[in-house]
Amino acid sequence: MVVLRAGLCPGLTEEMLQLLRASGIRTVVDFVSSDLEDVAQKCSLSYKALVAVRRVLLAQFSAFPVNGADLYEELKSSTAILPTGSSSLDKLLDSGLYTGEVTELMGAPGSGKTQVCLGIAASVSLSLKQHVLFLDSTGGFTASRLCQMLRAWTEDEEEQAALQRIQVVRVFDIYEMLSALQELRDRLSQQVVCSMGPLKIVVIDSVSAVVSPLLGGKQSEGLAIMMQLARELKTLAREYSLAVVVTNQVTRDSSTAPLRPALGRSWSFVPSTRVLVESKEATWDKATTKRVASLAKSPRQPTGIQVELDIG
Amino acid sequence: KLLARLEGRSSLKDLEPYLFAEEGSPVHGHVIEFHGPEGTGKTEMLYHLVARCILPKSGGGLETEVMFIDTDYHFDMLRLVTILESRLVQRTEEMIKQCLGRLFLVNCNSSTQLLLTLYSLENMFCTHPSLCLLILDSISSFYWIDRSNGGESLNLQEMNLKKCANFLEKLVREHHLTLFATTQTLMQRSTNSAENPFPLKPQHETDIDYRPYLCKSWQQMVTHRIFFSKQCNSGSSTAFTVVSCYLKRNHVVKLSFSVAECGVQF
Repeated sequence: MVVLRAGLCPGLTEEMLQLLRASGIRTVVDFVSSDLEDVAQKCSLSYKALVAVRRVLLAQFSAFPVNGADLYEELKSSTAILPTGSSSLDKLLDSGLYTGEVTELMGAPGSGKTQVCLGIAASVSLSLKQHVLFLDSTGGFTASRLCQMLRAWTEDEEEQAALQRIQVVRVFDIYEMLSALQELRDRLSQQVVCSMGPLKIVVIDSVSAVVSPLLGGKQSEGLAIMMQLARELKTLAREYSLAVVVTNQVTRDSSTAPLRPALGRSWSFVPSTRVLVESKEATWDKATTKRVASLAKSPRQPTGIQVELDIG
Repeated sequence: KLLARLEGRSSLKDLEPYLFAEEGSPVHGHVIEFHGPEGTGKTEMLYHLVARCILPKSGGGLETEVMFIDTDYHFDMLRLVTILESRLVQRTEEMIKQCLGRLFLVNCNSSTQLLLTLYSLENMFCTHPSLCLLILDSISSFYWIDRSNGGESLNLQEMNLKKCANFLEKLVREHHLTLFATTQTLMQRSTNSAENPFPLKPQHETDIDYRPYLCKSWQQMVTHRIFFSKQCNSGSSTAFTVVSCYLKRNHVVKLSFSVAECGVQF
């Protein structure tokens, strides 16, 4: 709700404001939705001046329509597909993580979500030489494991450079996460070229750890903050052409029902792609468990595809 | 000029005969709501309708313009282009650009911005006579945020949406548009009537998981309500079902469709 004040736009003078306030028009919405002829008569203001102010206010506060052809041109040049470090996962995601979208990895504790996230961070930093922002809310980020992965792919000097491109921020509640995202947004919009080079991906492990404590109490407050976080993630992804990866827990309705993502119905609309990560006991003589990823939701591929992940 | 506007507007008749329970729908002035949980094909169906509108007559389309208001950054341009490419005989960049030139997209960040954007779009409807389809995906995205901002008063919570609904009705009526809006199934249908503040729907809809939660102004202006649901078969294909209800005459039609690379197929 934006309140009208002098200087908000040219033509909106203090005396005009006084007259408008006297007839009950206080916010931009009030002004735009009122009948200007009526207002001109009641407040003895010039109709033309009011129309001009209305036009400027609308131009300032409403969103502009974009032509589909122009948007397509823009997307063709700004969308990138980022490799996840696992070729089978790339195949599952139709060649990799798309920028401009939120991808969700869901799985039970211990199923390997953090491993997949580390793999993604390592892969993007190493092969694309792009910066990675890793928001860790579970404390599961281990630099040594990341080193191990990088060492398996390359030698020393590159490994150091790759590590430097990954920025880890530890956040323990939703407000810290929102402020970390706000800081990112400020940096991106000012295009400050400091230690933070070109950023293409944000990995959040995990989003359920900071959001679950909010839900289930005074319902609508928690849900509103969760939806604000969702909106922030989607806006970042679209406006700055980033790929956003989040991890989430799973629940099920009863012991026989299929697994579904945690955080409820409202959150389920947020990611455009959802992958279920499970670790299954191998049936052959190897003692190792295998990790399986299945596609639960995708805007491009049919769901239900399953692949075996080749990360540790 | 007025005549040209009216003529341009009435060409939506054959938009999608499968979806509508009676002949000659949708006509201008209709408000159609797509309702369903996530992953049930609502956005896919919208792409199907958009493609049908913007494709040239030679490609099986209606060659009309579409205004798409996206409230949660859901719109996937690449997917739409894939659908267009699979329906066009000549898949050239030129053709695709020509089709896309008939589509206008707006992103809104809050219910206030949505309201103000609707006001500024009014001008566009006046100047583009072949713009007869307005799509809003989705109108329920701001529900929780509005509810929390409105505090304890239900009136304050619903005020923005109510204003949007009223203005949309005015736009649809004055410019002879057809409005498609999606709403998400955010709540489960409560079987306990004591805790459910909203009245349950009549008998024939008891198999549908629908709990109305948006403001009355919106609910009253909807002329068709289409429910989407999904069944996961044991095989690899997923079947989507649509139940289409024409509210004025209590007409119900049930159909299923599947989603392929080229879009929705009935």
